[in-house]
Amino acid sequence: MRRVLVRSDALEKTFGEGELETPVLKGICVEVFAGELVLLMGPSGSGKTTLISVLAGLLRPTAGNVELCGAPISELHEAEVTRVRRRHLGFVFQSYNLFPALTALDNIAEVLKLKGLPAREARERAGNALADVGLGERLHHRPGELSGGQKQRVAIARALAGDPSLIMGDEVTAALDTHTALHVLEILRRQVTSERGILLVTHDHRLERFADRVIEIEDGRISRVVPGGATTGEAA
Amino acid sequence: MGVTSRFSSPGLRSRRAMLRIALKSLAHDRGKLVASLAGVAFAATLVFAQVGLYAGFLESSSAVIRHVGGDVWVMAKGTAVVDNGERLSAGSREIAAAHPCVERVRGLVLSFQALRKPNGSLEAVQVVGFEPSPKHVVPWALSRGLPQDLHAPMRVAIDRLDLEKLAIAGDPIGAELGIGSQSVSVAAVTDGIRAFTLAPYVFAELDTARRLTLLGADQVFYWVLDLARPECASDVVASVGRHPDLVARRTDEFRSLTEDYWVAGSGAGTALGFSAVLGLVVGVVIVGQTLYAVTKEHLRELATLKAIGASPAEIVSFVTWQAAFLAIVGGGLGLGMAVAVQGWAIEVGLNIVLSGPVLALGCGAVLAMCTVASLWSVRAVLALEAAEVFR
Repeated sequence: MRRVLVRSDALEKTFGEGELETPVLKGICVEVFAGELVLLMGPSGSGKTTLISVLAGLLRPTAGNVELCGAPISELHEAEVTRVRRRHLGFVFQSYNLFPALTALDNIAEVLKLKGLPAREARERAGNALADVGLGERLHHRPGELSGGQKQRVAIARALAGDPSLIMGDEVTAALDTHTALHVLEILRRQVTSERGILLVTHDHRLERFADRVIEIEDGRISRVVPGGATTGEAA
Repeated sequence: MGVTSRFSSPGLRSRRAMLRIALKSLAHDRGKLVASLAGVAFAATLVFAQVGLYAGFLESSSAVIRHVGGDVWVMAKGTAVVDNGERLSAGSREIAAAHPCVERVRGLVLSFQALRKPNGSLEAVQVVGFEPSPKHVVPWALSRGLPQDLHAPMRVAIDRLDLEKLAIAGDPIGAELGIGSQSVSVAAVTDGIRAFTLAPYVFAELDTARRLTLLGADQVFYWVLDLARPECASDVVASVGRHPDLVARRTDEFRSLTEDYWVAGSGAGTALGFSAVLGLVVGVVIVGQTLYAVTKEHLRELATLKAIGASPAEIVSFVTWQAAFLAIVGGGLGLGMAVAVQGWAIEVGLNIVLSGPVLALGCGAVLAMCTVASLWSVRAVLALEAAEVFR
């Protein structure tokens, strides 16, 4: 039986109060399993980013439950949710969010040390992670000295180095050209294992062929769930 | 899982990691770093210099009391400050010495006189006449000559800083000065003794000072009492106080009275305090601006760390490490500059005292300045939501 990495049940999220009250998520039930890459797609304002934020424990749901890697995070205190994220999640973002003053190696190693890893092990893991994404020759380059695609690969390496169960990403290819975007997705696809899954928010239909499932969301509700190219055999 | 257990106690490693991230981020923009350090150093210099000047004023105003020492000072009733004493009657010595606890009575003359300079013009000076004492060396800070050089009649010591004011050119030793109708010869030179009143001190032994100030054989301005047991000071003060024309004060009390009279009463303390506070305000603005700019530039990265699992305390430490770095390095530079200013100030007659308490106060002020300056940034990172990373 496949392991559930994140599960939501009747999830609702509303912003504002009174006349300004805006319901964004309206009873979302979703599951992401280890061993799959899932895309969350939908038009702007449909609630994709809010949904991934709630699933990651970065926002509290207004109603409903979220279970992240076995932990009922919608019922836990903030500090406990933080610990769950620290142990189980990796993130990749559209704008990379790398420290400009740190080298590629340090951007990863310092985060690992922040998580409590010994310095030597942190640097070793960071180096390996960069090598895994094809940046073994760029260890000591700062973000300003790297291309967009390379920066995104550093961000992926940072997410991977912590050995997370679930990687969450938001528009990870939005700032990349087609060739680079596909390369980045190939790298991400390779990280899906029987212990790890990936959930990506995207507008980019080019990515569908790398996905196991595509969850479409519209006006705060799941409108449909379709198999991705990885399931139908398009990825090859 | 192994990974989980290794990640479970971040402690010291995470603090060190955040320290490195914070300092590298601060150093990344050299322009901002230099501006911040200059701001802190400038503010710190102002604080150290102003507090040191204040301490210097206190020290200068009561220097004679501190160096003459003793346990109790006997003076004319109504004397509020050491520089404005009145001559005491001939029988006052017996009254001062009457208490059995009094071990020794030393006379002191402290009087303003007109000095005729070699060029014929007049200058107000303060004649300090003392009885030599092995425990209390007066004049202090001798740079040329010895205390015994003043034993001979009509020999005086003056300060190097006053040579120009007294129009003494060339070697001061042996220079002749006229005080009243008397002529004195310079036998020793002190270095760095500047009176708060700015009237140059002329040190002489008691007999010479009496002649210069036209006092009788037993007359002085103060009797300084050395007690056999300092704890009987209250008794001695009360005993002398029964005499209608005399008052006795403990040495510390008289020193405080004098310091308050000159430094607080003249408004000098307020002016110096205002300058120091102004320096701190300038420092707070400069440091605050830099820290805020650096923090703001890194909000997305900090939100990322928060999303990844950094605690609020770890995120706040990004700012506090930077503030601490600026306080320590900028404060150190400021102290160095204050020491340089101290050397220059003494040449223009200003006494900047950088003693232990002054340094402690200055360091505390710089630390407080950087702490206040970091508050805006701390507020910004505390308000930071991890969900920002997805916006």
